[in-house]
Amino acid sequence: MIIVKDLKRYYGTGETAVKALKGVSFEIKKGEFVAIMGASGSGKTTLLRILALLDDATDGEYTIRGLQVSSLPEAERSYYRLTQVGYVFQDYALINEMSAAENVYVLSMMEGKSRKKSYETALEALDKVGLKGKHKRIPDELSGGEKQRVAIARAIAKKPDILFADEPCANLDTNNSKQVLDVFKELNEKYGQTIVMVTHEPWHTEYVDRVITLEDGNLVSDEKKQKG
Amino acid sequence: MINDIRVGSLIAYCSVKRGNKKTLMFIVFVLSLIFMNLVFLPSMIGGMTVLFTGMMQDYPYGDIVIEPSGDNTYINNADNVLQKVRAVEGVRAATKRLDVGASIEHKQKVVGVTVTGLLPTEEREVSRYPYIISEGDFLGDLSRDEIIIGAMIAGTGFGSEIYDNLGEVRPGSLVDVTYSNGVKRTYKVKGIMEGTFELVDLNALVNYKEIEEVYGLEESKATSVVVRVDKQGSEEQIQDKIREAGVNEQVFTWADKSETLIKQAMQSMGAIDVMSKFVSLVVGAALVLIIIYINVLNRKKEIGILKAVGITPRSIVLSYAFLSMFYVSLGIFTGLILYLTLMFYFQANPVTFYETMEIRPQIDPVLLIESIVTMLTLSVIAGILPAWSVSRESILKAIWGR
Repeated sequence: MIIVKDLKRYYGTGETAVKALKGVSFEIKKGEFVAIMGASGSGKTTLLRILALLDDATDGEYTIRGLQVSSLPEAERSYYRLTQVGYVFQDYALINEMSAAENVYVLSMMEGKSRKKSYETALEALDKVGLKGKHKRIPDELSGGEKQRVAIARAIAKKPDILFADEPCANLDTNNSKQVLDVFKELNEKYGQTIVMVTHEPWHTEYVDRVITLEDGNLVSDEKKQKG
Repeated sequence: MINDIRVGSLIAYCSVKRGNKKTLMFIVFVLSLIFMNLVFLPSMIGGMTVLFTGMMQDYPYGDIVIEPSGDNTYINNADNVLQKVRAVEGVRAATKRLDVGASIEHKQKVVGVTVTGLLPTEEREVSRYPYIISEGDFLGDLSRDEIIIGAMIAGTGFGSEIYDNLGEVRPGSLVDVTYSNGVKRTYKVKGIMEGTFELVDLNALVNYKEIEEVYGLEESKATSVVVRVDKQGSEEQIQDKIREAGVNEQVFTWADKSETLIKQAMQSMGAIDVMSKFVSLVVGAALVLIIIYINVLNRKKEIGILKAVGITPRSIVLSYAFLSMFYVSLGIFTGLILYLTLMFYFQANPVTFYETMEIRPQIDPVLLIESIVTMLTLSVIAGILPAWSVSRESILKAIWGR
């Protein structure tokens, strides 16, 4: 589903250039739940941002279902982000002035669905992540775990091909982290959702099928796992 | 595009619904002041213009004035002209006048004036001269050897300290008038007129017959025929009709005459008006841009997030245009309430100009519409420009707020 070939990302040029990714290659199959791990500065978040079309690679190829997405113009990348890719930010990245439901259904409206249909889709997605009855709350009225689940609902409401999550539990306590990971696990197992998650917590790997480890911008290991 | 509009309006709606109300009130208040700034001074200048032009109509020129053609000093057979004019539909009243130059002397004080010879009864329908007598009485049709003196030259009214005056002339005082042809007459002052307008208060009035006799005029000559119309605004139509009726003299509307006579004053006021509008507009545009730009900068991260999740830049830009239009619409509405409140206050308590002239600001619908359209246009530009600029930035930079 995802093929990454010799992906590089340099910040700056010449000898002072910071080489965040030095040529990473791997493939991810549909329905896989992959964790990208590594120490701080290893390039894992940079890699995820490029995969989610939030940033550009300096060099290399990146295809999703055979489409060379890395070279798409901005308008198409925007459409791709809207329809094919879900992204969960570390700090939730919700719009504070929108309720949980509005944060989710604004994307369905963007896709051209009616307001009613969008609202129903949002409620369904919020229900999926265990936030039934909390759709009218604004982010300030939700706990950290609940906010992250709204962010997940927003990412999955459009039924994306791939769900990317950038350290989704970084700001959460263990209990809330487990709730979020359980949601991912259920999405993956029940709905076959492909998930690529950046994390630095070793215990998160209990939930995933595969762990890709980066070190200093290089892929140093890629191992399949038995889910716990 | 429809989706962009729907999403843009949803984002703007949520922003207004759940945004900081104090900030909203502050923005609306500032915008209302910007709107006030755009309309208030022009309204005051409009009031001054109406005051001056009103005076031109009420005293020297009426609604329409007929003057001698070519180099002629007089309109020959003014009665014939009057007959034709009075037959024109839409003419309410008309009279003839004789304006001549003269000097007036009282107790060795001499001032130069224009003396107008008029028909007192007819003037009651044509001008306000009969109604501005501050002391004594107005002339009668049979008045002879009597004169009405303007308050400024009499030395009793405002402005006496600026202009030469006769020094406390009162009704009953005797003054010597030397006309431009050298004829000297002694008149008893019958009244003092005070129109709080220099063209009135620096003049003198006598009966039409006096001038006719002094200058030995025959066949009802006049230096002007002053006409009042039934319906204000119909002056140009009546002007044409008078010409069509066979009046071959020069026919002017009050606007034509005002343009010539107080052109400079009006041009100066017009220039102030244009400058004030321009400055207000520039200041207003800058303020609207700053307010919206700060607003957009505060939401830079939000814009990045919206882009990251797939909201199109066009929706984002539209949302800020809507938001900006909403702020400005509220600002205009509040500004209108403030403006109308001030207008009604100044209508009831006019600004006193020159100690005696009361200026009532004019509410000009065209000016209001112009200002509203200008503000709304500005709001769209002010909303679109910064949002467009931020929405073009890289998603990550926007999210990081750089």
